[in-house]
Amino acid sequence: MHDFNFIQPKSAAAAADALAGAEDGQYMAGGQTLIPVLKQRLAMPTDVVDLSAIPGLAGIEVSGGAVRVGAMTTHAAVAASGAVRDAVPALAHLAGLIGDPHVRNRGTLGGSIANNDPAADYPAAVLGLGATVVTESREIAADDFFTDLFETALDDGELVTRVDFPVPDAAAYVKFPNPASRYAIVGVFVSRAGGAVRVAVTGAGPCVFRQAEMEAALSAEFSAEAIAGVAIAADDLNNDLHASAEYRAHLVGVMARRAVAEIA
Amino acid sequence: MNKVSFGDTVRRAEDHRFLTGKGNYIDDITMPGQAHGVVVRSPYAHARINGFDADAARRAPGVLLVVTGADWAAQGFGPIPTKSAVKENRDGTPIAVPDRPCLAHDRVRYVGEGVAFIVAETRDQARDAAELLDVDYAPMDAVTHPVKALEPGAPQLHDGIADNLCVDWELGDAEATEAAMRAADRIVRLELHNNRVTGAPIEPRGAIASYDAGTDSYLMYQATQNIHANRNTTAEILGIEADKIRHVGPDVGGGFGAKNSVYPEPALVLHAAKTLNRPVKWVNDRAESFLSDTHGRSQYSTVELGVDDDGTFRALRTTTVGELGAYCGTVGAFTPTGGSARTQGGPYGFEAMYYSARAGFTNTAPLDPYRGAGRPEGSFQIERIVEKAARELGIDPVELRRKNLIPKERLPLKTAMGLDVDCGDFPTVFEQALAMTDRVGFQARKAASEAAGKRLGFAIAPYLECTGGMPKEHAVVTFTADGSAHLAVGSQSTGMGHETALPQILAATLGLDMARIGFTQADTDATPLGGGHGGSRGMEMGGNAVLQTAGEIIEKGRAIAAHLFETDVDKIDFEDGSFFEKDTNHIASMTEIIAASFDPERLPDGMEPGSLNTGSTFERGIISIPNGCHAAEVEVDPDTGAIAVTGFWVVDDFGTIINPMLADGQVMGGVGQGLGQALMENAVYDEASGQLVTGSLIDYALPRADDMPPMTLEYYEGAPTKKNPLGVKGAGEAGCCGAPPAIVNAVLDALDGLGVTHIEMPLTPEAVWRAIDAAGS
Repeated sequence: MHDFNFIQPKSAAAAADALAGAEDGQYMAGGQTLIPVLKQRLAMPTDVVDLSAIPGLAGIEVSGGAVRVGAMTTHAAVAASGAVRDAVPALAHLAGLIGDPHVRNRGTLGGSIANNDPAADYPAAVLGLGATVVTESREIAADDFFTDLFETALDDGELVTRVDFPVPDAAAYVKFPNPASRYAIVGVFVSRAGGAVRVAVTGAGPCVFRQAEMEAALSAEFSAEAIAGVAIAADDLNNDLHASAEYRAHLVGVMARRAVAEIA
Repeated sequence: MNKVSFGDTVRRAEDHRFLTGKGNYIDDITMPGQAHGVVVRSPYAHARINGFDADAARRAPGVLLVVTGADWAAQGFGPIPTKSAVKENRDGTPIAVPDRPCLAHDRVRYVGEGVAFIVAETRDQARDAAELLDVDYAPMDAVTHPVKALEPGAPQLHDGIADNLCVDWELGDAEATEAAMRAADRIVRLELHNNRVTGAPIEPRGAIASYDAGTDSYLMYQATQNIHANRNTTAEILGIEADKIRHVGPDVGGGFGAKNSVYPEPALVLHAAKTLNRPVKWVNDRAESFLSDTHGRSQYSTVELGVDDDGTFRALRTTTVGELGAYCGTVGAFTPTGGSARTQGGPYGFEAMYYSARAGFTNTAPLDPYRGAGRPEGSFQIERIVEKAARELGIDPVELRRKNLIPKERLPLKTAMGLDVDCGDFPTVFEQALAMTDRVGFQARKAASEAAGKRLGFAIAPYLECTGGMPKEHAVVTFTADGSAHLAVGSQSTGMGHETALPQILAATLGLDMARIGFTQADTDATPLGGGHGGSRGMEMGGNAVLQTAGEIIEKGRAIAAHLFETDVDKIDFEDGSFFEKDTNHIASMTEIIAASFDPERLPDGMEPGSLNTGSTFERGIISIPNGCHAAEVEVDPDTGAIAVTGFWVVDDFGTIINPMLADGQVMGGVGQGLGQALMENAVYDEASGQLVTGSLIDYALPRADDMPPMTLEYYEGAPTKKNPLGVKGAGEAGCCGAPPAIVNAVLDALDGLGVTHIEMPLTPEAVWRAIDAAGS
């Protein structure tokens, strides 16, 4: 990797200052995406601002009908959390499916959603549960957060501090993993809260998205059969070495039906 | 006293070191004053090089040396030679061998080919400088598909080599095969692809070398499988005497064939160490490993089986297009020709066989042996065509195989491919494997699977292969007066456990305490010759060299004992670690004889102190014939195409089993590698750009622990070979021969009734889903 300045601020404000003062700065949460691209010399920041020494960014709390997960909470901590398992078992299950044990013990919720990899798992949970992304300065609804391929609504230097996941009546996440990377080729997160149903799809497109037709059908009748007839268009889906757009479109249907069947 | 015997499960002596991070790999070795080298690699699959501008790179901080392709060419070093055992085409003309320089200077022919070597104080400085090297490339059209490369109009890789063709070769009797085909009731045909894969050893390739100006000699540590041969070839490239290089393979983290060959980098490292008069270290990163390690397999074949309606096999004919990559590798043209031909037909009887192959050049990394090196390709061909024949004939695939296995009474025989099959019992091995698989319970499991929306399938795949590699091996045993011993061998483990198995042979033969036997491998100073690792030769060559050396030590020990007992040598017997005189109570343990061997007072005339120390070269007569039978049960999810291997059973005839646990490790690893090729692994080049698309572990699907099936392993030990004193047949590559056909045929069995007759490897979920979809529409 190229040389860079390594800064470990003790507060979010100091982190923002460090980033603002850098020629080409980069926040690092768990570093599970950043470090490999640094090693490959694909990313060449002048300054890496490590967020791990900022107090209060990690932790899990269930209160007010929501699971509140600090941005620096590792995937392993979420997967192992009894509180999460009790409140939203699908969320703990999803965290336990991310990457491998190494990634899960370093990678963080905030890092994952700020990066918004199109095949990452967490965006499906954030969008599929209608979570709220909390930053130093504001709250961003999940529907507004993920904007495009590796793009989010975060401003430059804006730091995710927490994500609040509302506790649904039921939720499920079913993932078809890439056998090499263990990212999602297709992952579908389904939640039901009151009469509202959310279906969030990751891996299939350039950015996590909601499947409106399935949501409508499931709102009317929450069963796998209800969405059996929903045709998924391959047109805008990812088409690469690992899966064609047609196959991904097919998998969206299969994964969604399986997720619904788990909780119907 | 840690007493051991043949057949004991002795735990691996090396594992504590490996599992506690104490292994000594190339990047763990530090020499005082070492500098770091990196290879600048071509980003183009095919391009003319108009020139180099190295000024900025030379001026970069910390840079000590920049050797461009042009600089290297100006030095006049030799090309990297090929050592292919197949040297002639079918018409007797020599095969086409292009010059392969260590650094390209006028043209690059694959992405990852080296164009310069930069040495700096630190690795990062060398990498920084590499980004500053300006190479003026003029891109050319590339061809990465082995069949298309041989077609008219394809981009041409080498001046003076027509149609990219390296070799056009045949084996067997074409006319007799054609006649037997015509006489057969039908001919079953199948076109299939044996997918391109890469070894992906956990330790990437690397080397560190120092130069001693006083003696004009070198010391080089390298992550290689082949210390002696690769030293000699590297010396040949540099135009120096081989004995000027001491070459050592420390702990080497996996090879699988990818560390078998001679590569450009060691010559560059030696040259830089001498030029700078400083130690130089070079270690590939993972991306470079994918780009620049030799790849394996890659054959497009048409297989034809002449078979009667009652299921009797008559003739087998295979027509293959193989692939060399951009240049001939070390073994090069042999793998898709002789390497694939000799075990054609597996353990079945045929009236006639014929194998025909062409192989040529593509704008891809060179291909060379990969665990099995042609035999797994042959095994896949025969087992796939047999499965297809069974379905076309309406005969149970188990019955069709049973009917055609060569019976024990017909052994020994020489196959139509010229292979000496001396011993074995293929029908017994087959029945033993079948009995393990719980055929009775299969229908219930299948019904349960179907109730869950899945499809269960089963297949059995007997295989026959052969060993290979260097035909000589050397072992040296040195003693100290306290009775401890040190064993050095020229064969090499890259993780398989020779540090345990070879001392086990010595300890068992001489009755020594295993804990008091030291071990050295892969050091040109330790043995005068050595064949390294390759062709499942570890036990066959290394093991027999140890046994032979131990035998010579016993003979010397008998002379010493006879002298001590004041009797004739022919009255001395050796048994269970002791020498004794017949019909007397005279007895001396091996340890006592070792002590005596250092005492001039107790030695017979003509024996010097220390003369029990013995080095001996074992030479193989004929390669042995490992064989066995694999069986797989798989569950297919037809909604997604996902496959789970739910059961796997193996019976192997490796002759004598020295250490069952180590043999198990070889079989399990081979099955894992075979499973990887069958279901997951695929080295893919983009045809338009020639870029390696699967250039990282994010894109190249290597099997992990949770992809491995439950396995049950047994051995058939009823037929130790007489081709070598230990009676061993070689265990290392067998897993790769049996697993792919067993798994692929089991998947097709699971899809039986849907109209799917063939799916190319790897059987990814999408490939399976598409096959189901295509058959149904």
